[in-house]
Amino acid sequence: MILLPQARGVIARRQVLDTLVRRDLRVRYASSPIGYLWTIIDPLAMAAIYFVVFTYIFEARRVGYQPYVLFILVGVLAWQWFSQCATETSRALLAEARLVRSTNLPRELWVVRIVIAKGIEFVLSLPVLAGFAIYFVIAGQTTVHYRVLLFPLAIVLQFLLSVGLGLILAPVTVIFTDMPRIVRIALRMGFYATPIIYGVHAAPPFLQKILLLNPMAGILEMYRGGFFPHELNVPAILSSVVITFITLVAGTIVFRRLEAPVLKEI
Amino acid sequence: MRTVIEAHDLGIEFYRSRRRKMSLREIVLKGKNTAPKDTFWALRNVSFTVKAGEAVGLVGGNGSGKSTLLKMIAGVMIPDEGGVKVRGGVAPLIELTGGFLGELTARDNLYLAGGLHGLSKAQMDERYDEIVDFAGPQVRAGMDMAYRHFSSGMQVRLAFALITTLDEPIVLVDEVLAVGDRAFREKCYLRMENMLAGGKTLFMVSHSEADLRRFAERGLYLRQGSLVGDGPVEEIIEQYNADVDATR
Repeated sequence: MILLPQARGVIARRQVLDTLVRRDLRVRYASSPIGYLWTIIDPLAMAAIYFVVFTYIFEARRVGYQPYVLFILVGVLAWQWFSQCATETSRALLAEARLVRSTNLPRELWVVRIVIAKGIEFVLSLPVLAGFAIYFVIAGQTTVHYRVLLFPLAIVLQFLLSVGLGLILAPVTVIFTDMPRIVRIALRMGFYATPIIYGVHAAPPFLQKILLLNPMAGILEMYRGGFFPHELNVPAILSSVVITFITLVAGTIVFRRLEAPVLKEI
Repeated sequence: MRTVIEAHDLGIEFYRSRRRKMSLREIVLKGKNTAPKDTFWALRNVSFTVKAGEAVGLVGGNGSGKSTLLKMIAGVMIPDEGGVKVRGGVAPLIELTGGFLGELTARDNLYLAGGLHGLSKAQMDERYDEIVDFAGPQVRAGMDMAYRHFSSGMQVRLAFALITTLDEPIVLVDEVLAVGDRAFREKCYLRMENMLAGGKTLFMVSHSEADLRRFAERGLYLRQGSLVGDGPVEEIIEQYNADVDATR
């Protein structure tokens, strides 16, 4: 049996996990005087750039749902969580090599802690999103739908996806040193291969089928469901649930297979 | 007395070459990974048991597999053959400052590192004074300073004080039996003796005959990854010295 024993091992050490997450957040916010604001400034700046470029230069309002600012912001925030997880989990074991070498903890912890710490930053940035949503509701440009209940489910799904991916990336990077470069390129491509600045509906039909293979497409669909009155893309959501599960199982297997050689290397 | 460490047929295989780390360029250009495949057994067919309360010293030359064995007992390395069972928690005096981060204050670091070794905040509150007292007045004065501003001696003193207050019944020591300056080292020795008197099990690696004689009762002798001696520490040290002299 896979998945269950690993999950149980991590949950049994949740106190340590809590310590590590606190440590991550403390380091992040201790090293900068305006700490928390960076969590918001970065995605806001990106959203502003895309908004200006795509509404005033390309005049491509049809590619997303209205209000477009809200549309982009959801995408950029969620993508930031995802891409930071991929970047940092790929270095998870190497960056903490001294701790991994000196403490006997379930090694999956080093991956999970990053996904949680980044997830907390994501949640902390949500008030900004809520602020925009409230503004647009008051301005009468959108309504909040009961499908907003999909939002927390999307967080859970993205968490599991990022853990699964991290469990593959972390040990592979130790043995295959070029992995972080590949991750960097893949993320840059992934940004455009994910419906962040456009909606799936704006892609030509054959590309829409390919987008089904991107689990983040379905996850973004769930995040957006409550704010935009479009028809829900159910196939994309189902496909992202399936792909997330496969990734998680594959990650668990890869991690367990590579654990012994990785410990010899670091 | 019950057995607390049980190793049976322990073996671990390492790659001789550092080039085992694959490089993308090589795989793409040549279609294969040319890193040499030759391996060696750092440790093989090692079996022994340690009972609760025993003090065991591991003896052997450089590269004989001592640290590797210690890491497998600590659970931070996984054997390729056989296995090692450890009953009870382990306080590892290995990479002492591993859990400490330079950017945070010493106080934050102490709580976080304690958390990593399984102590809750309440338990840390209880032990805080004891730990800092042991680490000394200079350390106490700087508890709200960034850890990286500590001298390396002070850093390791704080870490040593923390690890040696853990309640774990088994203590693993990799050379660092005592840290800091002469006065502090004497304090460390006293603490180790108290821990042993309190019934803890000690498993230590050391090149210092004085340390081995002082703390260990039983010796294990590793030569090129094989266990070649197991007996009273005095005899094992003699056996080791005789071997070294014979090859000179």
